[in-house]
Amino acid sequence: MKKQRIVFANGNELAAIAARQIHYHVMGYYPITPSTQIAENLDIFRADGKSDIRLIAAEGEHSAAGICYGASAAGGRVFAATSANGLLYALEQMPVQSGTRMPMVMNVACRCVSGPLCIKGDHSDIMYLLNAGWIILFAPRPQAVYDFNLMALKLAEEVRLPVAVAFDGFFTSHQKRKCEVFEDETVTAYVGEKPEWENVLDLENPLTIGSYMGEKDILENKYELSEAMKLADRRMSEIFRNYEELSGRIYHKVENYRTEDAKFIFVLLGSAYETAKEAVDEVREKGIPTGAVTVCSLRPFPYKELAQLCRNAQMLVVGDRQDSYGAGGGSFSLEVRAAMQRFGWRGKIMSRVYGLGGTDFFREDAINMFKECIDKDAEDFGYYGVPDKTQTDDDSAINCNKLDPKDTKLHLTSCAYDMEKRQMAVKGGGLKETTILPKRIAPGHGACPGCGIPVNLNLLMRGIEGNVVFLFHTGCGMVVTTAYPKTSFRVPYLHNLFQNGAATMGGIIAVLEEKIRRGELPKKEITFVMVSGDGGMDIGLGAALGAACRNQRMILFEYDNGGYMNTGYQLSYSTPYGAGSATSHVGKEQFGKSFFQRDTMQIMAASGIPYVASVAESNPSDFIKKAAKAASYAKEFGMAYVKALSACPLNWNDKPENEREVVKAAVDCCFFPLYEVEQGITSLSYDPEKTGKKVPVEEWLGRMGRTKHLLKEQYSEVTAALQQEIDNRFRRLKARAENPLL
Amino acid sequence: MNTILPDTDINGYYEIRLESIGGLGANLAGKLLGELGVFYMGLNASSFSSYGSEKKGSPVRAFVRYREQKGEIRNNAPVLKPHILGIFHEAMAYNYPVFDGIKKNSKIVLNTAFSAGEAAQKYNITTGQLYVMNAGAIARKCGCRLNMVMLGGVIAASGFLSLDGMKSLCRENLGKKYPEAILGNLKGIEQGYEMVRTQEGYVCGKDSTNVENLAQSPAGCGLVSMKEPWSGRFSGYLGGVNPAAGNSMENDLSASREGYVPVFHPEKCIHCGLCDSTCPDMVFRFEKKMVDGKENIVNPGPDYRYCKGCLRCVSVCPVAALTREEEEKALKEGWLKKWENQNKGKGHEKEAG
Repeated sequence: MKKQRIVFANGNELAAIAARQIHYHVMGYYPITPSTQIAENLDIFRADGKSDIRLIAAEGEHSAAGICYGASAAGGRVFAATSANGLLYALEQMPVQSGTRMPMVMNVACRCVSGPLCIKGDHSDIMYLLNAGWIILFAPRPQAVYDFNLMALKLAEEVRLPVAVAFDGFFTSHQKRKCEVFEDETVTAYVGEKPEWENVLDLENPLTIGSYMGEKDILENKYELSEAMKLADRRMSEIFRNYEELSGRIYHKVENYRTEDAKFIFVLLGSAYETAKEAVDEVREKGIPTGAVTVCSLRPFPYKELAQLCRNAQMLVVGDRQDSYGAGGGSFSLEVRAAMQRFGWRGKIMSRVYGLGGTDFFREDAINMFKECIDKDAEDFGYYGVPDKTQTDDDSAINCNKLDPKDTKLHLTSCAYDMEKRQMAVKGGGLKETTILPKRIAPGHGACPGCGIPVNLNLLMRGIEGNVVFLFHTGCGMVVTTAYPKTSFRVPYLHNLFQNGAATMGGIIAVLEEKIRRGELPKKEITFVMVSGDGGMDIGLGAALGAACRNQRMILFEYDNGGYMNTGYQLSYSTPYGAGSATSHVGKEQFGKSFFQRDTMQIMAASGIPYVASVAESNPSDFIKKAAKAASYAKEFGMAYVKALSACPLNWNDKPENEREVVKAAVDCCFFPLYEVEQGITSLSYDPEKTGKKVPVEEWLGRMGRTKHLLKEQYSEVTAALQQEIDNRFRRLKARAENPLL
Repeated sequence: MNTILPDTDINGYYEIRLESIGGLGANLAGKLLGELGVFYMGLNASSFSSYGSEKKGSPVRAFVRYREQKGEIRNNAPVLKPHILGIFHEAMAYNYPVFDGIKKNSKIVLNTAFSAGEAAQKYNITTGQLYVMNAGAIARKCGCRLNMVMLGGVIAASGFLSLDGMKSLCRENLGKKYPEAILGNLKGIEQGYEMVRTQEGYVCGKDSTNVENLAQSPAGCGLVSMKEPWSGRFSGYLGGVNPAAGNSMENDLSASREGYVPVFHPEKCIHCGLCDSTCPDMVFRFEKKMVDGKENIVNPGPDYRYCKGCLRCVSVCPVAALTREEEEKALKEGWLKKWENQNKGKGHEKEAG
């Protein structure tokens, strides 16, 4: 046995430790709860000089999977981590990885797949991977996450297939346990030199990877993949045996607890198996011979081992943390049923869907589930623990605080289009006068104290009268306003996944237009407002540009707080250069984020939409007027894009009461210039140079914890580079403002 | 056989639950307690938290489970019947079921300025042994974070966790990350420890026959619970659609405050609207009113149900009509109540009609 040391760590941290020790070449990732900590921990190692794995923050999981595929096709050792919708967004890349036989290791911290959105743990994501040609190991506890990560690479490279290491999101990914890890040298020796495989960097022997294939060839390709799974099944047992010699920890494809004489066996996947062991002890004390098993390999599925262990039981109680709707069981219990049937077992299998959306699974739940299943009238499939249906609904709440659009038609602000000047002129829009406009978003939302998002939404709505329909991308703004059974919206609202909001809004608008055209609806004036964070503009830029090119009549409102704040502040493409974040830590080997903020304003302006504007709460009257203009453009001409700099005290790491000053400093140092591009013509709304208010970028950076370090002497080059970039952009902007042709 | 743990449940666990709001450091406290067990006490341990999105001000629970060295920790579920309950934020006692699962010999460490007897009565704590301390004041005095003081209190209440071990752990762990804060943190732990060590533990519900706070479990198995406040659901609507437009107005967010509130001085207000332009929580509801025979737009003052105490309004007010005050004082002086009452039943709800 090799020397090991004790750590108190959770599943995500252990996955990161394993990856650091393996010394992968590349990790392509996009943050998603609950797997994000893996990339975050690797970034900490990197900042401290303890790891040099190349971490690539993609703009979405689809690209992250693309990066991983390219990296493995180039012959690199490749690592990834994702969850839930991230896995689904990347899904089409998965069969490519396996079909062209490129090994890699991907961790999946399993989580509930959206709609409606839920960030808690269940198995609805991982089951989508069953048919992708990936080996899937399932770790029931944090220690196994570490161990499986080491064995996964071994297996991947031996059978030339990608491997997913799955484990329960939160229950395993975030639970700290006393665990053991090897010395780094032990891991280096264990995984050995990377074996060579066909790669696109082999210039001596040029290879075509990824051919266009016909029927027979595909048949053969898939047959080979199927055979590789059989090989994986055989090799896995050996790998487990060897690992036991190294670690002293025994793994099996199917783990069992007190099953020898058990008449009733719990079959559970993941952390629930551990909890169920306690239920087994308790039920056994009452003289009922029960046991529990879990499967550590979902693919290849250990049919033989499972049937062998359960052959003498009368009943299997299978828990599904996912449902294959309409199939009479979740994917897991369908597999268990198939396995037992294949070996001619005649007992009874009871499937129970439980623990969806992170519903806790207590020892008492296992016992209750068991009691429910041994009832002679029990159905063989059902849901466990569904809330009592007899509870009465709160009918009085329905529509109680809805807003009558008439009440928001107060004529406090109005716009008129000047055909000659090709400009929208605004009247009204006063800061004081518009305070009486009823709010479309109600108080009582759960945003952090001092959050900038509701501030910006409030200012935006102050300039817009009449009907409003909202669509929010996933993000803080959505999460804090719509926690069921509460909602802060007093006007119609739709949420959709955050790469897709602009497209979805496009669909809404198309139906309105079509219904009016067909005479199914009277003509209606509605301002459609699609709200996104800067994260949504990373992953959703494609959809936003699509809607912009179609010039669909909506406001696309971006609250830019410069990071993925809802998931704990990972860098976004809008995060300032040099800022520290959970995926751009400041340390001896790293100064913070390594590339400049994306100029989304210019990208949107280049798409040719009629109105583009930047706004900031530090200039509230300007904000309200631009909101009014945007609404008029969106109703009459097409898309309006409005971008607000939005404070995040939690992750900017400053005081809520100072945020207006911080935002003002960002505007005054020209990091966030206020301007409009109206029908292609640029005009500055506020020129701090002209008014003598321009401040050096340090004035702004020094006000936030995330950038304060940049004021130190050692980072002067970083700050100078940022200043240079800001100045260049502002000069170009001024040139555009001075010359209508630009 | 237990050699270290004084009292364990039928499965051999000694369990701690910390109730807090995001931002006060309960998660870190739980982690440190776990590490204390593993690295300094020869115990097996696990620690985890209830999770949501990464927000400040919303409820968070941290759980710690200990077992003797050789014993395996298998239970992955939250702690229902804690041996020690630490309550970081007193205001939670109003809105959240923080006392669920408390047993007669459970120890409660509550952050409050009240005496144990007063607090037990005020929050209707019917069982358990209560220790109180004004952790916020101690933290301010020591220049440390509140969680350090609470940690000291929990360690003292346990009767077996090592104070020296925790101090070493903090030096090792936090000292490296935040060297400038370590002295204050150590002082905070010590003072929290002393505060609880010198108390006898107020026996709650002495006169009551209620032995245990029992309630329904979330899955309906009739055991103990971590019930969430429930306020209706809408089963007639497919796909989880919510027809209760704007019903977040029913929420009370005052528990998100961390000690300070903006106090409104109407006589100074010039009704300029700047506060409403910076308030994230829509606590201001300007309205048209006749003033001296003229129609004017006026600011009736904050609705404190929604105020999270961010003080943005205080810093933008040009005439100091909003000032930063300690919440405790403001409550005592009745400054908040006055405006809450004035706004009750109008404003938000009425606006719809």
